[in-house]
Amino acid sequence: MTRDTAPHPATDGPGDVLVATDLVRRFGDLVAVDGVSFRIAPGETYGLLGPNGAGKTTTISMVAGLLAADAGTVTILGRPVGPHRIDVKRHVGLVPQDLAIYPELSARENLLFFGRLQGMGGKELRHRVDEVLEIVGLADRAKDATKEYSGGMKRRLNIGIGLLHSPTLLILDEPTVGVDPQSRNAILESVEALSGEGMAVLYTTHYMEEAERLCDRIAIIDSGRVQAEGTRDELVRLTGELDRIRLTGTGDVAAAAEAVRALDAVDHADADRHSLLLVVRDAPTAVAAIVTAATRAGMSLADVEITRPNLESVFLHLTGKALRD
Amino acid sequence: MGLSFRQLLTMTGSDLRQRLRDKSVVIFALVVPLALMFVFDLTFGGMEQLELGDIEVAVAAPDDDELAAALVGTVRDLDVVDVEVVPAAADEVRPLVRSGRAALGVVVPEGFGAAVTSGQEAVVDVVEGESAGLEGQVVVAVLQAVLDRVNAGAQAAAAGGIAGLPPEQLEAVARSVAEAAPTLGTTEGETSREQLSFSGSLVAGQAGLFLLFTVGFGVLGLLEEREQGTLARLRSMPMRPGLVVAAKALTAYVLGVVATAVLLTAGSRFFGVDFGSPAAVGVLVLAVVAAGVSLVFVVARVARTAEQAQVAQSILAMVLGMSAGAFFPITAGGVLGTILDLNPIAAFMHGLGITSGGGGLGDLGQPLAVMLGFALVAALASRLIPDRGAAS
Repeated sequence: MTRDTAPHPATDGPGDVLVATDLVRRFGDLVAVDGVSFRIAPGETYGLLGPNGAGKTTTISMVAGLLAADAGTVTILGRPVGPHRIDVKRHVGLVPQDLAIYPELSARENLLFFGRLQGMGGKELRHRVDEVLEIVGLADRAKDATKEYSGGMKRRLNIGIGLLHSPTLLILDEPTVGVDPQSRNAILESVEALSGEGMAVLYTTHYMEEAERLCDRIAIIDSGRVQAEGTRDELVRLTGELDRIRLTGTGDVAAAAEAVRALDAVDHADADRHSLLLVVRDAPTAVAAIVTAATRAGMSLADVEITRPNLESVFLHLTGKALRD
Repeated sequence: MGLSFRQLLTMTGSDLRQRLRDKSVVIFALVVPLALMFVFDLTFGGMEQLELGDIEVAVAAPDDDELAAALVGTVRDLDVVDVEVVPAAADEVRPLVRSGRAALGVVVPEGFGAAVTSGQEAVVDVVEGESAGLEGQVVVAVLQAVLDRVNAGAQAAAAGGIAGLPPEQLEAVARSVAEAAPTLGTTEGETSREQLSFSGSLVAGQAGLFLLFTVGFGVLGLLEEREQGTLARLRSMPMRPGLVVAAKALTAYVLGVVATAVLLTAGSRFFGVDFGSPAAVGVLVLAVVAAGVSLVFVVARVARTAEQAQVAQSILAMVLGMSAGAFFPITAGGVLGTILDLNPIAAFMHGLGITSGGGGLGDLGQPLAVMLGFALVAALASRLIPDRGAAS
């Protein structure tokens, strides 16, 4: 985990699917990506979290072999990646941010087309197409031209094409942009399921909730640089902020405050007539002991509310600006 | 069959399927040019079938005047117009024309020959009826030409008089000048063996002009794919990057060859045009489509967006098509003529002119060289010009 410094070069662990080291990409005078490094293990979902223009898509383009890096290296399964490395591309499934589907073709025809380009064919391809249509929930509309689909259905097909050939590494670039909540949830569930099956996933988003829900590890990226990297909890600790618990109720609130102050997890407690505001470490773990102590001290609880610092707070802490700026 | 070839065919097949479903390629490549052929044929087609008919000319001429008889004989024996001479008295000519029984009236005055031989100006009266038409114009023009010659004879006779020649010699001089072989003759025109008929030009020109639109549906698909995001996905596939471009070229080529072949075939049937040897015409089609595809690849490199490319392609199609004579014949000499000769659509039409005149493959060297040279230069340019769309 790092902060406000260039991340150390990723080390190529024996089981790593992807290792990106010190990637740099310039467009004229603009340095779009400036020394980005990270690695992804099998079955791991790795998030690139940052606002629009942070360098996420450029990073992904280099990882997928669409764009040559000005400096740095990318390896997938130990083999270098580049626009002409056909052997490596077989292991990658790309889900671009744009809807990379053909509107005049049906979902099945889109899948068959890209499957054939992946070198698949015959019964194997047809069987896999049926599977993917089920996974993305489009089996009943498989024969309809995709120009008739809703935005969410197109997004799901977009993902389906990326995972059609069962890639070792699935790269998803902002896959839920412009999607209704129902389709969004379906997409997130699909990604969770794929990760559960052992697929390595590189996921870019500017939605904090998605990164928190899906990603085992997250790199916060801004202005082409990785500002910090780690698990969600590791990143949150960077802010130095603790969790907050508010107990609301009746009875002896002052006695309850005294009782909870005695607990190790509680850093600070303020009481008023009907509520108790606590600053605590690791609220999910500590909440049971706190509730017990307050109740035994004579407070009758009506509501318990937990507030934890999130990645939005981390981003604000690291960059001085909100994530959606 | 190698994987790369299968991938190439997969992309080409999918492109063709989408283009056919889209319908716009059918409309622009076949329906619009065929419709234009019909419109132009209806509008201008009659000009090609222009034929002069016959005309009745009421003629009054003195019986014993050899020059007057020669004048009437010239009119009667015209090759280009069938003239029926209706003999009449001088005062009957005008009523005959007014009543419509003659379209034209000619009155050769008494003393016509004597006047000419004495050096006076020869004059005849012409009465033109409403039904004289183009045939009447031709007869009047011929009369005028003959009178000019007769007057030249009269002037020669007058000059002889001034010189003091005896009367019998003056008459001989006047006759020899008036009856001399014409210095300007007319013969029935025959088109060059390398020149298409009006209908042939119409069919070939429209096929050539719309070829650029047709191949654009294939090549400019590259820009559409970039804009809709599928190009990124294609480039992430395990295949050589050049295959995507090759597939677009093949799609464009197939569309161009099929559309041009259909247009030439349909045009031949509908407008009665014979383009000659199918094999030679086929080679011309292959060459002009190669030139068209290469040119549109240049457009695809220069344009930033598909919309820009379509505008540029339309301008190019109109300029090349019109300068080739797709709508009306264009002729130019000097540098401009040389530039026009390098136009692949003009070369295509030239080639079709050769085949329609009976020429074979061996006669197509020049137009084929122009088209293939153009294709080569444009293909090289498309590789060398920076891809502005990718850079934006």
